Amino acid sequence: MTAKPFLRPFVSPAVLLAFGLLAAMFAVLQYSVRAYVPGSLDVGGFTLENFTTLLRPLYALAFWQTVVLCLETAAFTLLLGYPVAYALVRVRSPALKSVILIIAVTPLFLGEVVRTYSWMIVLGNNGFVNSLLLALGVIERPVQMMFTTFGVVVALVHVTLPIMVIMLAAGLSHIDLNYEKAAQSLGAGPIRTFMTVTLPLSMPGIVAGFSTAFAWTFSAFATPQLIGGGKVNTVSTLVYQLGFASFNFPFAASLSLTGLALTFAAIALMRQGTRALERMGAQ
Amino acid sequence: MSTVTERSAAGTRMAVQLDGVTKRFGDSTALHEAWLKIPPGEFMTLLGPSGCGKTTLLNLVAGFLESDGGEIFIDGTLVTETPAHRREIGIVFQNYALFPHMTVAKNIAYGLKTRGVNPAEISERVDEALAMVKLTGYGERRPRQLSGGQQQRVALARALVIRPKVLLLDEPFSALDKNLRGSMQVELKEIQRRLGVTTIFVTHDQGEALSMSDRIAVMSAGRIRQIAAPGEIYSRPGDRFVASFVGDVNVFAGRLESRDGDRSVVSVGDAAFSVTAQPTEALSQGDALDVFVRPEHIAVETPDIAGRLNGTVAAQVFQGDHVDLYIDVPGRAREWVLVRCPGVDAMTQWPKGQRVGLAIRPDAVAAFPKESAGEQA
Amino acid sequence: MRRSLDRMALDVSGKILVLLILAFIILPALVVTLTAFNDKAILSFPPKAYSLRWFQRAVEYGDFRKGFWNGLIVTVWASSIALVIGAGFAYALNRYSFPLKRTLESILLSPLVIPHFTIGLGLLMLSALSGAGRGFPLVVFAHVVLVLPFVMRSVLISLQNVDTRLEMAAASLGASPLRILLTITLPLLVPGLISGWLFAAILSFNEFTATLFVSTQATQTLPVAMYNYVREYADPTLAALSVIYIVVTAAVLSLANAFFGLGKVLNVDGH
Repeated sequence: MTAKPFLRPFVSPAVLLAFGLLAAMFAVLQYSVRAYVPGSLDVGGFTLENFTTLLRPLYALAFWQTVVLCLETAAFTLLLGYPVAYALVRVRSPALKSVILIIAVTPLFLGEVVRTYSWMIVLGNNGFVNSLLLALGVIERPVQMMFTTFGVVVALVHVTLPIMVIMLAAGLSHIDLNYEKAAQSLGAGPIRTFMTVTLPLSMPGIVAGFSTAFAWTFSAFATPQLIGGGKVNTVSTLVYQLGFASFNFPFAASLSLTGLALTFAAIALMRQGTRALERMGAQ
Repeated sequence: MSTVTERSAAGTRMAVQLDGVTKRFGDSTALHEAWLKIPPGEFMTLLGPSGCGKTTLLNLVAGFLESDGGEIFIDGTLVTETPAHRREIGIVFQNYALFPHMTVAKNIAYGLKTRGVNPAEISERVDEALAMVKLTGYGERRPRQLSGGQQQRVALARALVIRPKVLLLDEPFSALDKNLRGSMQVELKEIQRRLGVTTIFVTHDQGEALSMSDRIAVMSAGRIRQIAAPGEIYSRPGDRFVASFVGDVNVFAGRLESRDGDRSVVSVGDAAFSVTAQPTEALSQGDALDVFVRPEHIAVETPDIAGRLNGTVAAQVFQGDHVDLYIDVPGRAREWVLVRCPGVDAMTQWPKGQRVGLAIRPDAVAAFPKESAGEQA
Repeated sequence: MRRSLDRMALDVSGKILVLLILAFIILPALVVTLTAFNDKAILSFPPKAYSLRWFQRAVEYGDFRKGFWNGLIVTVWASSIALVIGAGFAYALNRYSFPLKRTLESILLSPLVIPHFTIGLGLLMLSALSGAGRGFPLVVFAHVVLVLPFVMRSVLISLQNVDTRLEMAAASLGASPLRILLTITLPLLVPGLISGWLFAAILSFNEFTATLFVSTQATQTLPVAMYNYVREYADPTLAALSVIYIVVTAAVLSLANAFFGLGKVLNVDGH
């Protein structure tokens, strides 16, 4: 007998699946360097033109807007997610803990379409917020929130909040409470304790949450498409339009690929940044 | 793939035999060429601090680790390549590792089922095993409904019911509270003696090792330092590690005076002692060495007697049935010398600050070379 | 014990802050519920009259019915396949070392950071290149890839909680590796497997972006049907459907919480 009796049957299917995924990514690569034949689903010969087209202001701007959108969303999500995660981990009553957990996590399982649709009703010109403000006499005309970057960010923050809370709470739950008690016994007030002990120790969770929120926002399609309504262009909406409106699959592929590279670079940069921070903290 | 061998010169088949077994984890050697022979029915203890390789050795015998060199025999059969489930060993873990999803009876029956024993015999042998560990009637309970001591008995019953060739005990008492530990030790030793099962017992607790074992293998840093009966380990330690790990010991700064065959004369101040020469063979006359003396082999008396050490009482510790005196002996011992005085008289007889003389029993002294920089004590 | 005024102010404002954020999370669900019972076809607040007609339309609408059944087929297949592959692989990850272990793990976890539209686009192109067509297998494959990281995570956490000494004890008692797997490891993993499957199923049933790329009219799932609906109609039918969604999801999660402890599954219970 071997020391690893189930290695082959357990790993082989996973290898097959990984190959499928790699093949799909390779297909994107393959399409991205082929010429677009207008009006046809078939592609032409080898070309790098798709990538030079990406340098045009329209697309460069879309990339820039997407990155800014992702950073804004991740930052706001972090600010809103931290207090909830903190409450979730530190609240003593198990019942209250369950309630917070269910409220915070349920939206994760609702899917992008349901959540985006809900925000359309909330933010629309005849929607909940405008109706409320009009009825209260705060405003005289509806405030435009649909089809604006503001609206998209609000909805995206809502979309990424659950995963942020989960990741922050996972990090926070592994911090020994005695560190905080020790800091307090040494005379640190609650705010000082938080800033000098809890916050630094929760950095791994913050980085994990922030980079995940960034990646999810980058990946989001329904929200920018429906709430942005064509006024807010992101990489995802452009890919869809190119693919399914003009059938320019080669260009959609090069756009996806560049987006993918950008996501990986951004996440690597964030991880690198934290490692540098941690090293500074260690000294 | 198995070969039956009779490696032992005496012709008796060893229950367990390790021939130069080595185990490496990456760059570090967890076990360095271990040689060990355990005759049938022996209670052999592997004693040493954590990280000394004792658990590695146990896991190699059990088959949970593969050795990087050397051969292992169980009951005269080469098992180096045999997987754990074909080695017919019983094992009791520190946390007992009772299957939480099975009842006590199912736990005990597990090893019999894998052997295809018929149901009637299984139930009979499970009942026997429960009776042996005094848990008759507990068969339908779940492990988590039992106390620590009861869980340990179930683990023992589960390991013994398969009539293993060797019983392995991995720190089985360390999770029990102190009161229970003593009685469980007596009980386990009694069962082991009655069944005559060869046992390898891993512990870091020298008290357990001394009280339960037929022989002890003292280990440190991946090596077996000494294999001997408890009494010998205690009174004639083979090296300074064994001397300081097993029992309390005082270390005096001494000098090698002369050597005559297998005996040497060493001195501490103007006191001279005859010791076994072997540990200090490499030294020459006049070299400095360390002299080891147990606390109970020193008597406190009046000072300034020729051939005795003088010191001052630095502290008294009342221990109930005896008194520990700590004596400051400047220039002769780096740390305070511990002396164990029976009874309670020492509290008044030798007050703190009193100058005293120390009489060392001349036949209970050992000498070892001074600690070299790299060596661990 | 006397507590300072500062401390109390901090506590109270902290609680209010958390309440406001939780309100922000719940708000859309409340608004959707209000909308779903609104009798009028045009969105307006507050509703003047209430009715259940949108619920009726939601459950009777052909595309939704078709999408629901398609989604159910895809979900059951995808999460079951992902469970088998993910559990086996998690076991190998946890217990063995083998060549390219970390590489393989990274590839299979990468759907967590690769945008779903990229995965969808890639699989669409792969099917075009290989001429395999865009049937259910393609949609199921996409979903397996997307939910696998979650199954792996769930099973890995449970595996880490299975004391390997239990398996060693079983081996010492003569059980073969297969027997150990079937009688010790698997029974102890059951809660992790169930929660992993549930997690995968919920995510799969709700997956939208990648599905939009790989599905056709014949294979479109409920979220895709809902997306297509919202682009064409503005009546509260979708609100009614959303309410059903929210209620069912919250109920499933509460059940999961009661049975398995959601905190444990999500690894947010440290103490």
